[in-house]
Amino acid sequence: MDKETVRRVAMLARLELSEEEIESFTKDLGEILEHFSMLDELQDLDDYGFNPVEVIDVLRDDEPHQEIPAEELLRDMDTYEDYVRGPRLS
Amino acid sequence: MSSALSISKIRELNEEYGMFYSIGDGKGLDGSRFHFSAKDNLTTKDHPTTAGSKILSNYRPPFDAAAVERLREAGGVLLGKTSMDEFGFGTFSVNSAFEVPRNPYDRDRSCGGSSGGAACAAALIDGHLALGVSTGGSISCPAAFCGVFGFTPTYGRVSRYGLLDYGNSLDKIGMLAADCATIAELFPLIAGADERDPTSCGHPPMGECRIPASIGIPSESIKGLPPGIRKSFDEAVTKLKDDMGIEVRTLEMPMFRYAQPAYYIIATSEASTNLARYGGMRYGARGKDLGLHFDRYFTSVRSENFGAEAKRRILLGTFTRMVGLRDRYYLRALQVRQAVIEEYRRAFKDVDAVLTPTMPFIAPRFNEVAGMSALEIYLADHLTIPPNLSGMPHLNIPCGYVEGMPVGMQLVADHWDEGCLLQAGMEWGKLFERIRPEAMI
Repeated sequence: MDKETVRRVAMLARLELSEEEIESFTKDLGEILEHFSMLDELQDLDDYGFNPVEVIDVLRDDEPHQEIPAEELLRDMDTYEDYVRGPRLS
Repeated sequence: MSSALSISKIRELNEEYGMFYSIGDGKGLDGSRFHFSAKDNLTTKDHPTTAGSKILSNYRPPFDAAAVERLREAGGVLLGKTSMDEFGFGTFSVNSAFEVPRNPYDRDRSCGGSSGGAACAAALIDGHLALGVSTGGSISCPAAFCGVFGFTPTYGRVSRYGLLDYGNSLDKIGMLAADCATIAELFPLIAGADERDPTSCGHPPMGECRIPASIGIPSESIKGLPPGIRKSFDEAVTKLKDDMGIEVRTLEMPMFRYAQPAYYIIATSEASTNLARYGGMRYGARGKDLGLHFDRYFTSVRSENFGAEAKRRILLGTFTRMVGLRDRYYLRALQVRQAVIEEYRRAFKDVDAVLTPTMPFIAPRFNEVAGMSALEIYLADHLTIPPNLSGMPHLNIPCGYVEGMPVGMQLVADHWDEGCLLQAGMEWGKLFERIRPEAMI
């Protein structure tokens, strides 16, 4: 792990880091990844799942309903005429 | 519920111990069936919900989490929201933008994490039930450090609706209490299917309640323990044999050592995607300048409001999912999880439950925690990670004291076999003499 990689990953994760943070995360992540390298010893594993138990597909009845009124959801947002304000897109 | 407990007493206690981030008005407490608290990553409509993060400052959700809703419907009164590591990222509850809970047995020591406030409340408030959440050990660890029972059910047993996600395939809502009978009585209220969380549907009902006839101790789990912890654990094992008639065997579980790196890869991969939703628009902290381009805006809000550990885990999880690295880290970690599950299944052919110490040391002092590196802290979870990674139900059982601080042992059962853990905990509670913290109310 080097500082350039940490900068690149931070950019992908939408984080801006100070030089001090980059220094400290480079060291920490380097140590952690070194420790993770023990997984390279395991070459003969095949099976895997995305959940630890079987998860069945469950679909609700296709009936529109709204549990929470829109005004409550908008309560904590910055709004203008019921539109949520956001940053510039271009 | 007796009226001896008052909100003013809890507020006073909280000044000293910092277990609550937010305390309610206690309405309905007098005459209520029971009182409970919720870890601050469970949504509540009458309390802010911050998950210990500045990025959710002042966020007040418009709905209750399913577990909170069900306890309220059953006549429980929510006393407040308990302090925690930011989004559950920690082992000592010190990674919080707000309150850091202090250990009920020594205020200079950590409560453990990340449900540290929950464990502290369970230890200090008589008859209290604390809802906790565990991803990699966040119920067992603080329960061990604070000397209470900490129950983590099978993954999927309790609806995660209203839980602020850390790792979707790992998060489990459970309970902490000084008396295991409290958990056994109230846990069925929150267990079971909820269509708002599909992972909670389609599972078998709670298993038949019986004490395990045999338990296995993985030899890997007792290597290198400090003498005090080892002595306490060995004495407890003797008691299990002699006083409860449980047969004890030694097991080899070589995959355990790989569980810790696999866990951190899966947990941080999932966390880094879950935390992408915090961008300063829909809830919590907002940016100062909406005139910024959206990329700059989101980056500034996130950089300013996530704590150091949250940033570290976002970076780690983003890195391990990157093109070219995914198979080496993420896929391998999923394979290890499956291998750990299979290793447990092999063990459960020979024994009813697996027992280990819960933590490899007693609650550390805050200055000791400050001196630990990130990797040292991650390694401290090596005993609580295997059952969490594999979704197995487990219970921290207080089993002794070293230097006046509690020690815990962790009993693990097969998927969906929670009943035997709670039964064993209740039986143990009759034999074990708990030292009550002096400040208890």
